[in-house]
Amino acid sequence: MRVKVYLVDDHRLFLAGVKAELSEEFAIVGSAYDVDTAIEEIRGLEPDVVLIDVHMPDGGGIVVVESVGETNPEVKFLALSVSDQAEDVIGMIRAGARGYVTKTIEPGDLVDAVRRIDAGDAVFSPRLAGFVLDAFAGVMPTEDDPELDQLTTREKDVLRLIARGFAYKQVARKLNISIKTVETHVSSVLRKLQLSNRHELARWASKRRIV
Amino acid sequence: MSLIEVDARRRDHFIVTQIGQLRFRRRGRDRIVAGVAGGLADTLGVSDAFVRAAFVTLSMVWGLGVLVYLALWLMALDRVEDTDPEPVATHQAVGLGLAFGGCMLFLGALGWWPSNALVLTVGALSFGTAALTDRNMPGPLVALVDPSVDRPGRLRMLFGVLLLIGGLAVFSSSVGPISGIGPVVLAVALTGFGILVAFGPWVTRLARDLGTERRERIRQEERAEMAAHLHDSVLQTLALIQRSDDPARMSILARHQESELRDWLYGNAPLEGADLLSTALKASARRIEADHQVPIDVVVVGDHPLNEDTRALLGAANEAMVNAAKHSGAERISLYFEAEDNELIVYVTDQGKGFEPTAVANDRRGIAQSIKARVQRAGGEAEIESEPGEGTEVVLRMPVAAG
Repeated sequence: MRVKVYLVDDHRLFLAGVKAELSEEFAIVGSAYDVDTAIEEIRGLEPDVVLIDVHMPDGGGIVVVESVGETNPEVKFLALSVSDQAEDVIGMIRAGARGYVTKTIEPGDLVDAVRRIDAGDAVFSPRLAGFVLDAFAGVMPTEDDPELDQLTTREKDVLRLIARGFAYKQVARKLNISIKTVETHVSSVLRKLQLSNRHELARWASKRRIV
Repeated sequence: MSLIEVDARRRDHFIVTQIGQLRFRRRGRDRIVAGVAGGLADTLGVSDAFVRAAFVTLSMVWGLGVLVYLALWLMALDRVEDTDPEPVATHQAVGLGLAFGGCMLFLGALGWWPSNALVLTVGALSFGTAALTDRNMPGPLVALVDPSVDRPGRLRMLFGVLLLIGGLAVFSSSVGPISGIGPVVLAVALTGFGILVAFGPWVTRLARDLGTERRERIRQEERAEMAAHLHDSVLQTLALIQRSDDPARMSILARHQESELRDWLYGNAPLEGADLLSTALKASARRIEADHQVPIDVVVVGDHPLNEDTRALLGAANEAMVNAAKHSGAERISLYFEAEDNELIVYVTDQGKGFEPTAVANDRRGIAQSIKARVQRAGGEAEIESEPGEGTEVVLRMPVAAG
């Protein structure tokens, strides 16, 4: 069965382009130009993966991810945005998106990213990996849950290689581990990023509007 | 459903919408107290100045105007809305005025107010002022000679002036005998009041127009500045893209423009001679990207000030990027910089054709040596990893004092 994909973007021209790129590989079950339609239709259609833009009127992608997450936690989100500012990237991930890529991504890479998200893995762009390393760097863990507030050495190694532009396959080869293990590390980082209640994370993101 | 039923439904619907439109709302803009008079004026389709005058006059009858105002305010406590009223025909407006006058006379006949003089004076003065207050008119006295004012407008002005004179006459005749105010003082006060009423609206309107004009000019200047910037940057780039038939070059142009526009929009344009290593690295990458038409992805973790030693690191990174752009044939290059507690690391990575590091000296090897020498002089080290077909990675490390 083909993966069911739903698209949300208020930029119609871009949406049409993405639709054309993905329709060969996936079943595009619908699309929306605004937040309210998106929430309603995604709840009704229950797609596997939603590609969502960050900046839209009425609250933007974060509102959609949060609202749908409350009712349909099984729907997975991949943020696709023209912005690569820290607050947008970290904000979308913290809201529940499982990946973040910029709109300059190559079509083939986008197809890979959707596949990976559908399989339950996380998709980190080099830039997102850099943000995460920066956000978790050099701050002491809080008392509540030190495990969530720190990255393991291995996780840092994986993120550094992703930040240096290597694909998961190359990361696996460089570290002598399997691709599955790379995916496990990235998913674990995603979980920490979403669940860590460190105030520093939010403050960090708002401090660097531009990176 | 039969046709008659449909027709009846349609009629009902029509009546409901009409009544709905009459529904009273308070006004949000142009209000003085709570927008009640303005809302009423919008509903009735008459000038808000007259409605206000009616409220003032009615208030002389034991405060009835204030009570009505409060009642309407309560009625529309949570309904604030700005609608564009459809102006009512003149005869309707006159009818409304007559109805109001009739009501007042009725109240007077019943003897329901404190004194005729008070109500007449206040009524004449407030309605006179209302007649002279019109946003679309020039000054009240100017209006009588201004050719752009139509006849109803001129009549309205004349009506206002007459009302004012009448009101002042009633006032002076009733006040004069009672109080001990000297006739000169009274004359001066009346003249002053008359001038105030006649020219006040005109002066305030003049001030308002000046403010509007100034705001408009500032907006236009901002627009012009933005247009100039977009013209120099975005439009030029779009023109270049249209003239180019090389997809790689188009993509570089678009990328370059994108990051430039982003910096401009978020007010974070990189300063020339910026004193942070991260900013300097990004600026270098952008320059090389433009010169050699290869996209460079920059990821930065942490930061460090730019000094003698780190400048050497910057220079070496520069050389590595240029080298990769010129020789690797890769579609994109990655620059990764991380500042750790006691070490700075820079990776310049490409997935291009690579080379055999131990092969006979060629110009690539020469460059590799110069990168190494540069970093070593500043106390750091450089490693170059490459294999034919596997791309190249240049790793630059420089120890720094912890802190």
